[in-house]
Amino acid sequence: MHVRHWARLVTAVAVVALGWSLSGAQTPAIGLDGAWARRAPMSGMGGHGGGGNGAVYVTISNAGAEPDTLLSATSDAARTVELHETTNDGGVMRMRPIQKLIVPAGGRVEMKPGGMHIMLLGLTHDLKPGDTVKVTVTFDRAGPMTLEAPVR
Amino acid sequence: MVVWLVAAPVQGAEFKGGLLTPSRMAPDFALTTQDGKDLRLSGLRGHVVAISFGYTFCPDVCPMTLAELTQVRGRLGTDARRFEALFITVDPERDTPPRLREYVNAFSRGFTALTGSAGRLADVRKAYGVVAEKRVVPGTAAAYLIDHSSFVYIVDPAGQLRLMFPFGMSIDDMVHDIRLLMQR
Repeated sequence: MHVRHWARLVTAVAVVALGWSLSGAQTPAIGLDGAWARRAPMSGMGGHGGGGNGAVYVTISNAGAEPDTLLSATSDAARTVELHETTNDGGVMRMRPIQKLIVPAGGRVEMKPGGMHIMLLGLTHDLKPGDTVKVTVTFDRAGPMTLEAPVR
Repeated sequence: MVVWLVAAPVQGAEFKGGLLTPSRMAPDFALTTQDGKDLRLSGLRGHVVAISFGYTFCPDVCPMTLAELTQVRGRLGTDARRFEALFITVDPERDTPPRLREYVNAFSRGFTALTGSAGRLADVRKAYGVVAEKRVVPGTAAAYLIDHSSFVYIVDPAGQLRLMFPFGMSIDDMVHDIRLLMQR
């Protein structure tokens, strides 16, 4: 009996230790820093073209050994959320949707005005300074992660 | 077709923005403000006027320009009385005066947003050399997007079109150039 109990204890300790080491190996490789959202009016309540839009910016870092890919984003603040990139073509700004965003291993991608942003289409409320916008971003490897972007 | 030479700052030209040479009178226009009033550019003599083009559907570049010009106004202090910032829509289809009002007021009460008939707005863009191209783009819920010029055009107190500020120019440099024009 005593031996069997002892064996069980050893097994339990081993299982916990294994769990720890596994969770250690899975420390999130993706970091989300410096998130913020541009203030924006909801608009469109009177039928003036169907709602305002907003933009959320964040810097994504990848400490992992493998590249990861941002696949999609969702938020309660907007009807539709997309990834967009603006390019400056000799002073002419061209904003386009992008289907995914690759974050290289050991690298980072900085979203900023005139570059990449998370596009909020059809705001469900005004984005006012002092508010916070919650966005869930889903990565191929890291899975879903939530960021909180203060409005300014 | 109007062609300007945009020169980098040269001898005697201590401006930070792109200097338009030869300077000439800014093409005049009459458009409708967000409050439904008529506004004529030539009625703003005595002010430095910053003119930008954009649309309220744009959450990225246009708000950045408006936010920067709001900071510029704040930095001008009492001289802000002699500064006017105009935002001319490139999207009259969606940008009604109420929508323009809501949009610019989110950034600053000091802005004047302008709209007008599609033809009149096209004439203004042509006179200033502004590009605006409507695009139906796959892969977005947006019905259409508009590619457009991001320069801010600066008119001096005498009504001459003097400078173009490129996207990303610092607030310090913009304030510097506007103060210089106010001194002359």
